[in-house]
Amino acid sequence: MIVASNSCLSCLIPPWTIRSNSGQISTSRRASASQITITESNSLVQQTNKRRCKCYDMYKEAVPFAEAWAWQKSIVEERKSLIDRNEDDLDTLIVLQHQPVYTLGTASSENNLNFDIKDPPLPIYQTERGGEVTYHGPGQLLLYPIMNLRFQKMDLHWYLRALEEVVIRVLFSTFSLKASRVEGLTGVWVGDKKLAAIGIRVSKWLTYHGLALNVSTDLSPFSGIIPCGIKDLGVGSIKELLRGSSRPSSTSSDHDDGDGKLIDIAHESLLKEFCEVFQLELCHQSVSILRYPDK
Amino acid sequence: MALRIWASSTANALRLSSATRLHFSPLSRCFSSGNLHSYPSNSPSLCSFLKFRRQNRNLTYALVSIAVLDGLKYANSHEWVKHEGSVATIGITDHAQDHLGEVVFVELPDIGGSVTKANGFGAVESVKATSDVNSPISGEIVEVNTNLKETPGLINSSPYEAGWMIKVKPSNPSELEALMGPKEYTKFCEEEDGAH
Repeated sequence: MIVASNSCLSCLIPPWTIRSNSGQISTSRRASASQITITESNSLVQQTNKRRCKCYDMYKEAVPFAEAWAWQKSIVEERKSLIDRNEDDLDTLIVLQHQPVYTLGTASSENNLNFDIKDPPLPIYQTERGGEVTYHGPGQLLLYPIMNLRFQKMDLHWYLRALEEVVIRVLFSTFSLKASRVEGLTGVWVGDKKLAAIGIRVSKWLTYHGLALNVSTDLSPFSGIIPCGIKDLGVGSIKELLRGSSRPSSTSSDHDDGDGKLIDIAHESLLKEFCEVFQLELCHQSVSILRYPDK
Repeated sequence: MALRIWASSTANALRLSSATRLHFSPLSRCFSSGNLHSYPSNSPSLCSFLKFRRQNRNLTYALVSIAVLDGLKYANSHEWVKHEGSVATIGITDHAQDHLGEVVFVELPDIGGSVTKANGFGAVESVKATSDVNSPISGEIVEVNTNLKETPGLINSSPYEAGWMIKVKPSNPSELEALMGPKEYTKFCEEEDGAH
């Protein structure tokens, strides 16, 4: 059973301040050859000896959901064996888009589908993540961090807030969009529109699945579902918000070269803020390792 | 730090014989419900420990009492086992349910399947996160708590009684010996909370 460990002191300090490699809040000064000054101030974070994280970056590709799901599960099994032998020391991040698909979480209700589950308009998958039904498709960037929370903070609530923090920072720093959390509703909102959905699975403190950010997503497939089981609030995208909400939701006919640029910018910002929030250094890996594991 | 020392000495001074809810009024605000559970007066004595639980994202805290029952064994992944005769009942602890928050879904295995010590047999979902539940012992599943399908919140309201998850016929009773007793588990929880 994974539980959240709450510490009075560490909860009072936002977890996205300085962390040492051990994941503990560090207030000490370290002397080393590559001198790094660690202070308690956010703004003075310098380059540190950050924990490394393998990154499989396919952000321009629309990968079939089943394929990416299989990759995650395979990595999770491998990491669990390492954890059992006390040899796990590198986290993993997969970045990609998906071909159009609906996915359900463990508790997902068919009541949140506006179609017969036996005759879905798109492929539909029942997954082992938390959260309700959602849509994935081109124009939406997905981050699948496979994180050993022992390296960070053994607290599921903290992890979910940290994932939200990544997106909130991206939206503000790069797009000047003021995003927020809604108490009791995991995800990232701009006004009454949800821009990012989050749902995870945890096993032996190892997390997988992750977050989906609507950048230039065609939002019309969301009308086939009650997204995340929330009836009264809508779904938005960065593109829609930047253009102004008076325009109708983007459809595939609105696709233009600007979408590609928007994805590029959002992707770069997502990786930057992910590294900042989790204090990681990405080590880019060839995606052929995932596609052809036996080679 | 002063608050932690106070809580620790209060815990020692107030060694409780039944689970109660303590309010620390200067701090508590928006005290969420759903965590109160009482044990009948003839239940086995229990120890408990006090901890601060964050109430909401505004970082207010409430002092809550976490129940750890005598007569049970505990795994370091926060499951409990009650061995009675040839059957062992398994569930997750009060500490675990407190950290999870409201449980909205419970995934249980089929009767007749088997469980292996330290491996997952089911899952609980809360806060958009679904977490594995691991079995503290190995054996054959003889019963599952089907009430949890309709009322997953039983895990929150009654983690040691109505919120039990599976019953197992242990295949290796010596595995029970390796588990923690209530005092060890209490200490384990306090240390784990203190470390993060």
